[in-house]
Amino acid sequence: MKIHYGTALAAVALVAVHVLMRLTQSFAESLEYENVIANYQFLPYAGMLEIILILLSVHGFNGLRVILLELKQGRVYEKAVSYGCVAAMIGLIAYGSRTIIMVNMGIV
Amino acid sequence: MTQQDENKEGIGGMINPRRYGIERVAYLLMRLSGLGLLAYFIGHIYETSSILKGEVGWNEFLELTQTNEGHAVLAIVIAMCVFHTVNGIRVMLGHGGVGVGKPARPDYPYTPASQNARHKIGIYSAIVLAAIAMMYGLAVMFGE
Repeated sequence: MKIHYGTALAAVALVAVHVLMRLTQSFAESLEYENVIANYQFLPYAGMLEIILILLSVHGFNGLRVILLELKQGRVYEKAVSYGCVAAMIGLIAYGSRTIIMVNMGIV
Repeated sequence: MTQQDENKEGIGGMINPRRYGIERVAYLLMRLSGLGLLAYFIGHIYETSSILKGEVGWNEFLELTQTNEGHAVLAIVIAMCVFHTVNGIRVMLGHGGVGVGKPARPDYPYTPASQNARHKIGIYSAIVLAAIAMMYGLAVMFGE
């Protein structure tokens, strides 16, 4: 539970910053290609996006694991759910990191 | 063993919000909003990866999401996010012993001390704040 609560509290603070960044200008304007590229290429912001990605992936897939373990129990089932959630978590972090790193380095 | 199996309600029991008051409704909404937010998060990661296709790819994907339907989905996501956050903080505080009352001898009618007015107000506040945030989100998205 410590991981779940820790990731939740940290994510609340960082996601608030992420959402507030959309409100510094009009919503549509903040989503314009140049603005989004500029966001990714600003290293502190890209670092924050990476941290949010990790925090939310850990929190989300751990939450899914808890829901699935509440539904059904059993040695094989529990192992499959736990390993499946960890694999999905790693996959999502890798896919999201790829976008952040490539855009930050200007490979678009 | 057979008796035990018969008592398992499975997913039907998990999604049944009746019988146990607003706390049970909060339990169900917490799980539904969590699953919804996880689905949105995966979609959001996929959506933002379209920027790797350049300006054309990014604008094509924006055309799909920046529609009335897309804004309505985003408003629901905002509501789920606010409810999940506020109710999550309530659950964390309760888990830490905040607002659950003092330990006492269990006497008839065995009213659980932890399911008190403070936590009920917390749940209703989470629902009201989620509704307000959703309305604000709609005003921002459709007000342009």
